[in-house]
Amino acid sequence: MTTFTFATAQYDSGDWDSAPLVPPNIIDTIARYTEIEVTPTGAIVPLASPDLLRYPLVYLTGHLPVRFSDAERRQLREYLDRGGMLFVDDHNHDVDGVFHRTATEEITRTIAEPKLLPNNHSLYSAFFKFPDGPPTTSHELNGWGDNLVHKNLFAVMREGRISVLYSSKDYSSEWGYHPDTKRFQSVDNTKFAVNIVVYALTA
Amino acid sequence: MRLPPDARRRFELGLRAAALVLLAWMIARSAAPRDSATVHERTDSRALNAALAAWTLAPEPTSVHVTAAFAPAAREREWLRALSHAGVHVSWSGDSIPATAIEVAARSDPAGGVRAYVSAPAGTRATLSDAVGLIDTLSIAAGANALSLPMNAGALDLLAHEQHARALAPDSLLSRQIVVLGRAGWEGKFAMAALEERGWKVSSRLRVGPNVFVSQGTPLALDTAHTAVVVAIDSSAAQYANAIASFERSGGGVVLAGDAPLAAALRTLAPGRSGPRVAAASLSFASNAPRRALGFFPVLALSNDAVPLEGRDGHIIAAARRLGAGRVVQLGYDETWRWRLAGTGDAPAAHRDFWSSVIAAAAYRATAPVASAAPNADAAPLASLYADLGAPSAPSAVAMHITAGLRWWMFAALALLLLAEWTSRRLRGAR
Repeated sequence: MTTFTFATAQYDSGDWDSAPLVPPNIIDTIARYTEIEVTPTGAIVPLASPDLLRYPLVYLTGHLPVRFSDAERRQLREYLDRGGMLFVDDHNHDVDGVFHRTATEEITRTIAEPKLLPNNHSLYSAFFKFPDGPPTTSHELNGWGDNLVHKNLFAVMREGRISVLYSSKDYSSEWGYHPDTKRFQSVDNTKFAVNIVVYALTA
Repeated sequence: MRLPPDARRRFELGLRAAALVLLAWMIARSAAPRDSATVHERTDSRALNAALAAWTLAPEPTSVHVTAAFAPAAREREWLRALSHAGVHVSWSGDSIPATAIEVAARSDPAGGVRAYVSAPAGTRATLSDAVGLIDTLSIAAGANALSLPMNAGALDLLAHEQHARALAPDSLLSRQIVVLGRAGWEGKFAMAALEERGWKVSSRLRVGPNVFVSQGTPLALDTAHTAVVVAIDSSAAQYANAIASFERSGGGVVLAGDAPLAAALRTLAPGRSGPRVAAASLSFASNAPRRALGFFPVLALSNDAVPLEGRDGHIIAAARRLGAGRVVQLGYDETWRWRLAGTGDAPAAHRDFWSSVIAAAAYRATAPVASAAPNADAAPLASLYADLGAPSAPSAVAMHITAGLRWWMFAALALLLLAEWTSRRLRGAR
């Protein structure tokens, strides 16, 4: 039985490592709520490397403009063609921010334009129930960034499955804290991460 | 020399008695089963066809022999068999008849198509065609030669050394779902993806937490009306062991993948015992032997009714057995998803083919009869010739010396006797 390893994509442009606390926090959440065997530490995988094909779910984030190299684009296209799933989160949560514009352009060039994902998609009931769609982040509510609450996520679908999941909600900020801090929260705000992982493993 | 009148009368009486005896013998012979002509024919089927018509008309022969260059057609064999049942001794010979045979089975694949197994003398160049025309030319190897055909029209016809073998299109398969049971993980996910991409309808129930499952479709409809195969992707499927065993015994297919046979509840179904995991033999996925880069649980202590399906370096990796009315496939691989993601360019397609073939090896086959059948199916003409007429033999020795001239000399002898008796009487002046 293969254990689940949470992998973060490393790309040449921008700041791929802007949310270093997200992986350990998600790993902690997966171990806390599920029976999924999870590797205690995450992995960092260069987007242009064939090693990308060892991790069927990869997380990509950043604040800065994203421009994939030809090798990165080629490798990512092959990865997605073979059934890999890419979760992209805009660490700026800025609708016209540089990460959003460049990342969506790159995804469109590589595979297809991300489309709005309906809020009744099975992603929102894969483990925990989110009847209203993606959970709102505190960063959306505190006026920082684009000062918008994004009602939906976006996705590129392949064979009825999410191939690329794109978020403007800044989960990278929302989940970017040490897992031990979780005990001081009345509501665990990382539960949606469980849905993303469970969806990737089962759909 | 003139005979005395008494002696002459006794001579005439003797001639008359001899004629009566001969006449009585002829009458007795005509009442007895008839002797007849032996007919020797060399087929070409056209000559045999004409000969069969002649043999069937009176007078029937006692013995017929067919020297065949190739096996008579099914209709001609039936005719010969009917003659045999009517009391005619039927024999045949033909050392050079090529042993061609063809069998066609529907593929357990939503894409449809058939799998044809053809056989002919090794080294023969054979052609395979259907109602539309030529499909392929084959160089026949020893044993059965298998071909997968995505589609065909009507009966398949194998032609080798002028010998045809024809098989009808099989009944069409009715589609049933595949059920995947086990823990949430990459192997289950990508096995399901491969099967769905191949056209299978897949239901699943995957465990993600204590009493928490992610379900798709109707995974608990474990009966042959809905389900063709249950895939236990790992040992956690043991919680459904009773339902799986019941489904299997009623005719369903079961695939025990990875460490599933290690679970005590599933072990009784497995074709063998699962051994400690063997590491991959290669670090990279070569295109000619990609599964060498996969680890596996070897199948040990294969049961007597099981057959190995795949092996490597002395280990059995996959095996199958029939149990009750169903079939169980034990598949040692637990990380075929790595092959799909990290294999060479054709890996996703090869991974789909692999999983589809695993399913086909176990699948419950529900069939719908084809609407019409070609009347000229003749899948193994030489074997059928043996079955219909027995082993080849030389023409019957008894039949050889019975000739049609027998009645002629009997008639001549009778006429001679009566003529001599009449002449004798007339010469002595009696009427």
